[in-house]
Formats: sequence, structure tokens, C-alpha cells
Amino acid sequence: MTWWRRLWLRKKMEEELEKELRFHLDQHTADLIAQGLDPEEARRRARLALGGQEQVKEQCRDARGTRWLEDLPQDLRYGARMLLKKPGFTLIAILTLSLGIGANTAIFSLVNTALLRPLPVERPEQLVSINNLSLGIPVISFPNYRDFRDRMNSFSGMVAFRVTSLGLSNNGVNERVWGYLATGNYFQVLGVKPALGRFFTPDDDKSPGAHPVAVLTYDCWQKRFAGDPRAIGKTVIVNGRNFTVIGVAPQGFYGSEILYRPEIWFPMMMLAQVEASYNYLEERGNSSFYAQGRLKSGVTAPQAEAELKTIAAQLARDFPNENEGMGVTLSPAGLLGSRMRGPIIGFSAVLMAVVGLVLLLACANLADLLLARATERRKEIAVRLAIGASRWRLVRQLLTESILLSTIGGALGLLLAYWLVDAMMAFKPPISIPLSTELHIDGRVLLFTLIVSTLTGVIFGLAPTLQSTKPDLVPALKDEVSMGGYRRSWLRNGLVVSQVSLSLVLLICAGLAVRGLQRAQSLNPGLTPQNAVEMSFDLTLQGYDVSRAVEFRRRLLEHVRALPGVQYAGLSTFLPLSLIVKNYPILVEGQPEQRGANMPTVTASTATPGLISALGASLLQGRDFTEKDDESTQNFALVNETLARRFWAGQSPLGKRFSLAGPAGPWIEVIGVLQDGKYFSLSEEPTPFVYTNMRQWTGGPLTMVVRTASEPQNAIAAIRREFQQLDARLPVFDVRTLVEHMAIPLFPARVAATLLGSFGLLALLLASIGVFGMMSHAVTQRAREIGIRMALGAQAGAIFKLVVDQGLILTALGLCIGLAVAIAGTRLMSGFLYGVSALDVVTFTGVSLLLSLVALLACYIPARRATKVDPMVALRSE
Amino acid sequence: MKPTKSDLPQGTLDLLILKVVALGPVHGYAIAQRLEQVSRGVVQVPQGSLYPALHRLENRGLLAADWKATETGREAKFYRLTRKGRAQLETESQSWQRLTEAVGLILRMSEGGAK
Repeated sequence: MTWWRRLWLRKKMEEELEKELRFHLDQHTADLIAQGLDPEEARRRARLALGGQEQVKEQCRDARGTRWLEDLPQDLRYGARMLLKKPGFTLIAILTLSLGIGANTAIFSLVNTALLRPLPVERPEQLVSINNLSLGIPVISFPNYRDFRDRMNSFSGMVAFRVTSLGLSNNGVNERVWGYLATGNYFQVLGVKPALGRFFTPDDDKSPGAHPVAVLTYDCWQKRFAGDPRAIGKTVIVNGRNFTVIGVAPQGFYGSEILYRPEIWFPMMMLAQVEASYNYLEERGNSSFYAQGRLKSGVTAPQAEAELKTIAAQLARDFPNENEGMGVTLSPAGLLGSRMRGPIIGFSAVLMAVVGLVLLLACANLADLLLARATERRKEIAVRLAIGASRWRLVRQLLTESILLSTIGGALGLLLAYWLVDAMMAFKPPISIPLSTELHIDGRVLLFTLIVSTLTGVIFGLAPTLQSTKPDLVPALKDEVSMGGYRRSWLRNGLVVSQVSLSLVLLICAGLAVRGLQRAQSLNPGLTPQNAVEMSFDLTLQGYDVSRAVEFRRRLLEHVRALPGVQYAGLSTFLPLSLIVKNYPILVEGQPEQRGANMPTVTASTATPGLISALGASLLQGRDFTEKDDESTQNFALVNETLARRFWAGQSPLGKRFSLAGPAGPWIEVIGVLQDGKYFSLSEEPTPFVYTNMRQWTGGPLTMVVRTASEPQNAIAAIRREFQQLDARLPVFDVRTLVEHMAIPLFPARVAATLLGSFGLLALLLASIGVFGMMSHAVTQRAREIGIRMALGAQAGAIFKLVVDQGLILTALGLCIGLAVAIAGTRLMSGFLYGVSALDVVTFTGVSLLLSLVALLACYIPARRATKVDPMVALRSE
Repeated sequence: MKPTKSDLPQGTLDLLILKVVALGPVHGYAIAQRLEQVSRGVVQVPQGSLYPALHRLENRGLLAADWKATETGREAKFYRLTRKGRAQLETESQSWQRLTEAVGLILRMSEGGAK
């Protein structure tokens, strides 16, 4: 019989056990009667021989090995009754737990989505990103990809792709949508089957410009084609060209990036048409492609990496101009190569650590509450022990109670997590790239919650349980209040100390994050956010050619500058701090030439006259671009201080020349120096940056910045009207003030400050409840002692001090431990401190003072109560 | 004064039960009686520990049980040996044999005989 059947058959088993023993007794009695004993005596002897019937039964039940399960319903019933008897305690316990477990579940679902959930592809563990980090971002050039693909042996397939935005016209509506350009083997290597139609294959990706086909995501098909199967074979217009829809991807598949939610895939050979830009496919120096490979079975990532490194060395020898110094690393696929992985892991680690600490704090709190309650239940437990309950039996029952508590807390926590996840999703980075917005609470998250809840119950339940099941029976039964047995108060004091130290650590994290946000807001970003707006548009969407585009630009700026209240207006290909970075290897005239990956790189954007003033950037030397520069054949540039210092230290950079496209030029002359700013993130090191003169249009989106005399919000409608007049069908996107723009780089700091701040406050709340509970209980326990002291003449002040001292000593101890932990641990946070020291004195002292104050308050009320103890009542109470 | 009775060494009760049950399906009371009879009263089986032992052996799959009528027509729980139980009995009795022989040898050792 299996154990679970036995469990179901529990009632039957009990009956059978009873029957079996009765049979034994009856038989024995009958035998004894047969030997000549009278029935009464025979039955007595038989009973004696068998021993205590209930004990035998109990031992038989134990022998079955499913005892704890059989007792479970009983324990649960009893536990529920005990919890209902103390609704206040139960409510606080469950609330504390659900906060702790809810926070853990929510953060874990974040980690789960970004790091643990595999890509929805075949054997996702075989898929790796191939990173060449020579430009600081994990991208390689297309010719290099081709060579890797053709020379490698460790992979069953290798793909390259680009994340791209494009203009899509469908049913006369022009929109900017996001998609992938991917090599023909993309879907084969990923191992995905289409939901409808077919995917493109290497045959659809042979020669540039020759394969106008597209594959839609399931969502796109639903949204734009209402899920109509006849969408296959239909034409969509991409940047003014016809493309044929050939297939629809399965639901939930969004390609090879975990967090990216594009709508459409194109074959890589359509790069020039889709991005309306240079054909990068033959430029070995243009590293702007992400690559992924599927490891052959049996090949490990380190083996494959070693092979790619060998090939990289060959490629560096073969093409030293572009590839010298090239290195390759592999990383799990799906987070833009390895680019987002580090930051996401770091952020997740900090958050998981923080919510873990919050949960520990909640555990300490509950252990404390349970200890207090166990003291109240001493007599009950002592009675049960005295009449023969085994200690293990009692431990089991008390643990059942605490696990019951934590499971209810966990269930509530799960609900809370749903809400928290929603709240976290409200923290969407203010960018137009479509990102995954669903945080899944899937099986793995549920399992996590279950394990965490159970563990929590065991952790906070075990110590009080073990302690309370070995009371000194005699005083407990006599209803004597123990005078605070050394061990017991040691445990409770330990809990208070750990609560204070844990909450100190959490508050310091919170304080540092808030300081980081403050610092980030006060950093000079190299532009003036107030009184300026930006708007982006993409002339590619309307199929503009160069001359029409240049004309459009000229007229747009002219009209906008003429609007009332507008001071400056200018255009750029991308603004600093918009998460877009274009890095180029730089060659400085008259300086030793480096090659390939060893070349220094700079970030470069373009600008029209007026952009610098519209951004509110400070020109330190030289002059801004002028309209006249456009007529000159010479190329001009504005560089920042870091760039000037790095390449022309001690000289005037004005008039110096450099090239961003190798020795063949074009050569670009420096005409001005801008104050340093921030370009990708607020925490970056000083980065060399250059604006070149935007003379010719190269396609792709442009951003216009307009500086106004006053509140810019009012100007937006007027500027939009100018767009309307010039081209009514042109979509204008990313319309926002520069203040709103600054929300992009401030996003991580803001998220960190909000999350850590909330958790810090939660920790403070839990710790103050803990200290308060502990001190109140201590006063109750010591009422007799206090009564004696008062009877002997102690003044109220002395009693007050007695209690407060006890609390403050514990608090001080907790603070010391907490400070030590914080000093060791806050280095983890350096990613979002923006230059605030991880040992920031203001935060450390401020938080310590705050916590001391709260602890003092938490001691104050119980201490006041202690001074009100009536000696007569206290002494008579026992 | 009753004849001297020996306490059972630890763990031998299981072995004895298995041996008795090996002779054919038998109920708990009969096991107790048989143990006492065969050992001529030397082995005193505490009846209180007989049933937990039976249940333990059943739980470990060494014994199986059915409810059957006795000669007197009453229903009783009859234990029988499972295949696993028979194997267990085999190994246990062999090791018991070896142990007792060894202990016997040592006890028979003539004093001063060992050099």
C-alpha cells in the first residue's frame, strides 16, 4: 500500500488497528479462561500483558511512517484555532509576511523574466551571443560575421541581426515601427516554426535589395491584419517600397532578444531598403551587427569561445586595418549580446539582496512575536509535555502553526506581488523602443513563492518552537513567570539586535539610492533641460530623396524659428542621453596611426546650426556651425573638452583635423569646443564626443530641438502645425520637453531610489514594531522586578532609565553590526550612486541617527508604562 | 519463582517475527504465543511492542496482511511474508548465525589459551 493511499484510508486503518488489538485481547482472554481463570481476572491479565492500549496504538501509528501527514489535518485545525484566538497577532504576522514574501515574489518575477526564463526557441541553452567588445558594445561587422560563420566548427549555425526602426505603411497609415533585420538562417538556427505561411530562408537572403519579403510577429498580425489568414501574400510598404508578407511567427515569439518586442522581420540583404542608409554589409570596419550562434551538441561554450578567438586572431592578421586587437567573448543570448547582462545582473542582485533582507527582518519580527506568545503558552505546552506528548510531536504542531501562518502570508504576498509587478511596470523607461511589459508570474515564480513561504515559516518558527518545548516544567506548571531565563532573553535580544542591524543596512541602501538620485539630478548633463522641446521624425518613411529632404529640413527650421517665443531650433541625428550611441574609430591628423580595435573610439552625432544653442550646451572656445558652413566643401566639427584634451593636450584644438572613416577621410576640422556632458548614462566616465556638421542627409530619424523663451509646452502645438503644413502624412514621434528627456538617464536612479526607498521604509516600520514589541514584552515580564524595585524606593526616573537603557544597548549593538555589514556591502550599489561614495558619511550618520530616534521612541512607551507599575499589583499578581 | 527470562537483544524481534510468519499466514496473537511456546518461555515477547513491530515491518514491505476468518469464525489480520521479507529473513538469519557462532567461539575460548 502506498503511503498516500494509507493516508486516505486513515479512518479504515484506525478501525482495523482497533479491531486487531481487540481480537488479540479477546483471544488471550479466551485462552486464559480455558486455563481456568474467571472471566474478569482473565480479561485483566490479558490487558496487562498487552500494556497500555492507547500507547500501543500510538506506537503503531508512528510505525506507519506517515504519522506527520496523518496528524496534519489535526494540527492545521488546532493551529487555525490558535491563530483565530489571537486575531491581532495573526493579522500583524500575516501582513508582515505578505509584505516580505510579496516583495520577494515581485522582484523574483523581474529576475525570472530578464535572466531565468529561456528564449522561446529550440534548446535555448545552446544559443549564445557572440560579442566583440572593441567599441565598448558587443557588436561585430557583417564581413567579420560571415568569416566567423564560414570558418567555425563549434556551432551548428550562426546568425546576425540588427534591431531597427522603419516606416511602415499599411492601409494608408504611416507609422514608425520596430523590427529585426536578420540573416536568412535566423529562424532555422533558432528552431522556430511559423504559425502561418513560411519564414524566410537563406534563399531569401542572397543578394542585396532582391528579397522584399517580411515576417510578422503574431501580435502585429493580430493588430494590423486582424488575424486574417489572407495576410500572407499581402503587400506592406516599408519606407515607400513594397514588401510581401510571407509568414507569421508563433504567438509569444519575438525573436532573439528577451526584452524587445518588435513587429516585423526582414532578410538582412534588405538592409539598405529597410534602414534607408549606407549598405554596411560590405564594410568590415562597421561593427553594428549582433551575432548569435547555436553550439553543436557536445561542444561547451569555452571550447567554442576558444575557437572563435583563434579565428578572430586570423581575421586580425588578414584585415589589420579593421580588426587588429579584435577579441571575442560568448555570453548567454538575449540581452543585446552581453551589453545589458551585467547591469541587469547587478541590479537584480542588489534588489534580491534587499528584499531578502526585508524578509529576514520580517522573520526576526515574527520569531519575536512567536517567542512572546510562546511565553504566554508555556503552561499549555508544559501540561502537554507532562502528560507524555513527545517533544517532536509538539515541535511538529508548533511548526505547522508557523508554516500555516507563512503560507497564508505567502498567498497574500502573491496577490500583493501581482499588484507590485503592475506598479513596477508603471516604471517604464521613457523611450519609444517597444519593450516587454509583461512580468510573468509563471510556474517558476509560484514555486519560488511556495519555497520561500515554507522556508520562512520554518525559519521564524523553529527557534521559538525549540525553545518553548523545553520549559522547566515545574515553574511553568506552577504558573510562575520566569524571571527571564538567561537563554530566552538572549534569543530575544539577539532578534532585536538583528532587526536593528538589518533595517540599518536597508535604510543605508535606501539613503544611498536617494543621494544617488539627488547627485544624478545635479550632474551637469552638458545641456540645459529647461524651456526646450524635442520632436523626432523620419523622412525615410515618406520616401524622401536627398534633395527633397534637405529642402524639407531647411524650410522646417525656418518656419519654426519664426514662431513667436522660439529662440533657437536645430536638428541632430541623435541627442545625448537618448540611449542611442554611435561610436566611431577616430584617426587624428599628424598622430601615430592605430589600427582595428586598437583605434581609439569617439561617440559622434551630427548637428545643424542652432542645435547647440537649442540644447543649451556651453560653447567654451571657437564658434558654432553656421549656414555658411553648409556651402563650404570643408567638414567642420564641435568637440567636447575630453576629446580635445585627449588628442591635443596642451594645444588649441581649433583648426586641427581628424577622420572618422579611416585615412581616406573625409577630414573634419575642429571649429569649437563644448563643455563636457553625459552621452549614454549619467554614471559614465568622461567620454570623448563630437558633433559633425549635418550637411547631407543620410536617412533615418532626425530629432529637432527647439528652445523657447518660456514654458515650452505651449509651443508644441504650434510646431506640430508647421510639420502638418510641410507634410501632413509625416509621423512625428518622441515629442517631449528636454526635462522629460532627462527622465531617460535618470530612470535607473529613480527606480533604485523608489524601490530601495520603499523597502527602507518598510524595514524601518518592521524594526520599530520589533523593538516596541520586545520592550513591551520585557516590561510585562519584569513587572514583578520593577514592582520590587519601586517598593524598595526606586524613583520613576530610575525605572524609566532601566528600561530605556536595555533598549538602547540593544539598539547600539544592532547599529554597530549593521554599520559593519553596510560598510562591507554597499559597494555593490556603486552602479547607481553617480559618484556618491558608497560610504557616504551623510547617509551613514543620518540613517544611524534616524534609527536611534525611532528605537528610542519604541522604548519610550513601554518605559513610561514601566514607571506606572503599581508595586502592590505587581507583587500580588503571582 | 518463574524460570529466568531473557530480554531480546535489540533488533532480534523483527527477525523472530519474520521467521514465525515464514511458516505460513498467521495473526498477531498467534505470533506472540508461538514465540513464547517455541522458546519454552525463555523469550518473553512484550506484547506491547509486538504490534508496532508488525506495523513497521508491514510498512517496510517485508510483511503483507489480509483479513481472514480464523477457525473460530472471527475476522483476524493475518500476516504473511512478502518476497522482500523472505530475502530479508535469509540475510538476517545468516548474519545472526555468523554472529552467534563467533560469539560462541569467543566464549568457549579457554582462559589463558590465547597467546
